[in-house]
Amino acid sequence: MFRKILIANRGEIALRIICACKELGIATVAVYSEADRNALHVRFADEAVCIGPARAADSYLNIPQVISAAEITNVDAIHPGYGFLAENANFAEVCEASHITFLGPSPEVIRLMGEKDRARREAAAAGLPIIPGTDGVVADEHAALRQAKEIGYPLMIKATAGGGGRGMRIVRSPAEIVASFRSARHEAEQAFGVPDVYMEKYIEHPRHIEFQVLGDRHGRVLHLGERECSIQRRHQKLIEEAPSPAVSPEMREAMGARVAAALEKIGYSGAGTVEFLCDVHDEFYFIEMNTRIQVEHPVTESFTGVDLIKAQIRLAAGEKLADVVPAVFFRGHSIECRVNAEDPETFAPSPGRITAFHFPGGHGVRVDTAMYSDAVVPPYYDSLIAKLIVHASDRAEAIARMRRALEMFVIEGVKTTIPLHRRIMDDAQFQKGDLHTGFLDHLLESSAP
Amino acid sequence: MAQKKNANPGNPPRADLAEIERILAFMTERGLEEVEYQRGDFRVRLKRQTASGVLQAVPLVSQAPSRQPSVPNPGPVAEAAASARASAAPFAAPAENLHTVKSPIVGTFYAAPAPDAPPFVKVGDSVKQGQILCIVEAMKLMNEIEADQSGEIVGVLVESGQPVEYGQPLFSLRPSGG
Repeated sequence: MFRKILIANRGEIALRIICACKELGIATVAVYSEADRNALHVRFADEAVCIGPARAADSYLNIPQVISAAEITNVDAIHPGYGFLAENANFAEVCEASHITFLGPSPEVIRLMGEKDRARREAAAAGLPIIPGTDGVVADEHAALRQAKEIGYPLMIKATAGGGGRGMRIVRSPAEIVASFRSARHEAEQAFGVPDVYMEKYIEHPRHIEFQVLGDRHGRVLHLGERECSIQRRHQKLIEEAPSPAVSPEMREAMGARVAAALEKIGYSGAGTVEFLCDVHDEFYFIEMNTRIQVEHPVTESFTGVDLIKAQIRLAAGEKLADVVPAVFFRGHSIECRVNAEDPETFAPSPGRITAFHFPGGHGVRVDTAMYSDAVVPPYYDSLIAKLIVHASDRAEAIARMRRALEMFVIEGVKTTIPLHRRIMDDAQFQKGDLHTGFLDHLLESSAP
Repeated sequence: MAQKKNANPGNPPRADLAEIERILAFMTERGLEEVEYQRGDFRVRLKRQTASGVLQAVPLVSQAPSRQPSVPNPGPVAEAAASARASAAPFAAPAENLHTVKSPIVGTFYAAPAPDAPPFVKVGDSVKQGQILCIVEAMKLMNEIEADQSGEIVGVLVESGQPVEYGQPLFSLRPSGG
């Protein structure tokens, strides 16, 4: 087992990882930018190293600084969390070269899944269903026109090097294809440095359903069920739940088994999530894989009772999957609301000093946060300040519990998305479980003055 | 944490000056105003008056040291200093004229270009802007750290072999000229 782990991240996930390490008796090293001097992850780690000024590029994304911090504190492993360097294959390689274990899959697998068109092809070869689309990068405008005709409209143009909604265009007719192809390439180059795009059939009103997996270093992978993440704004998830209202136990077992088998073929280890779109006919289509722990992992922890971060660490240390997760049981219903420091209507970021902070508790309520009263939400990083997760015996009770918990969550000094979450909990369509990725846009539009 | 009883409740523990100096340096680096520190029977609280920049040491006599130490994570700097057992780095009192040269990178500080070579600079030396003051080694690369201002070295704040973090004070310098 590792003696000491450096957490190459900040905020609530850094704290989460520190919690897991403390429970496993592993010493922790926090790294922080000058803007995070008073952050909780710095306070609760055993050691802390300042690695740069506020800007992420100069600190949390600065590989030499992070590795150097790992060397001077003599750690065995680095946990990258999510975002930042979590899916940076180059960083994983530098860790290996420095004889530090990177808590994630191999650099080759990270690279494979990081290139979206390659990931699609590998997923298909490994037996997962994919959306009909181009077999690789679209070379030029002529190819775009020709291949679009084969796929059929409507279709989606997507950047191969990134996600999060950037370098994406929906195209509904041949008249739009060339202009959309050009502008998608331009945006992709701006966002990811690579203009390459691919195209695939666009599925209307899909559900976003993802499967959580864990793999050991001995070739075994298992699934821990799905999460429904259809409530998104600009491809950023706001609310996640497990189980999905649309997935029966049979569907879960069938697709889960296919996912686990495919990842064993690919040689996956660590924690990961395989993302699908699910259409109205209950057909799954693989879209991408995230080779890291995700923001919404607590939903699966509540649904299965498995501590995913501790499992991740133990598996990376060489333990067998059968020992770390002897059996998986699915119970009850879990919902997570991401509380962001944003205006709940305009979504403008709202950094600043928190003047009052009281989070709800009670049976079946969990809050993952690195915020506290008098803390400062810095403007340099993402706006997530807390995750509110509830677990209950069924979906109706989970919604009632979430409504109650949101009402009792006090954050003053900055604006938050709590009012929006409360609106969603009250929404009839949400309560019916009638969800798809356009749900939130529709809700927001319908209330626009 | 195991509770240790004070073997001689009547005798206050001896204050370790070198240790207090290290704590003072640590407080200044971190911008801390108050620190309570305990190691074994030795317990002290230091409180900084930031207006005048003066540090006050208030030794506490502990009868039955049983509390958890409350130093907010010492970090690699204090850990290395505590385990090095060398004389503590001289503490440079913050005064209006002095400029602090800080480390731009994380790594290991070396005062000299080679183990048996003389240090790049010592207290009293005049240095020009751009002159090499030390090396910070990071990932097996020796990075030469240059003076960002010209002036006289009045303090060397770290020891050779000591791990340093971003922004860590390395040298205290009295700037010369306009």
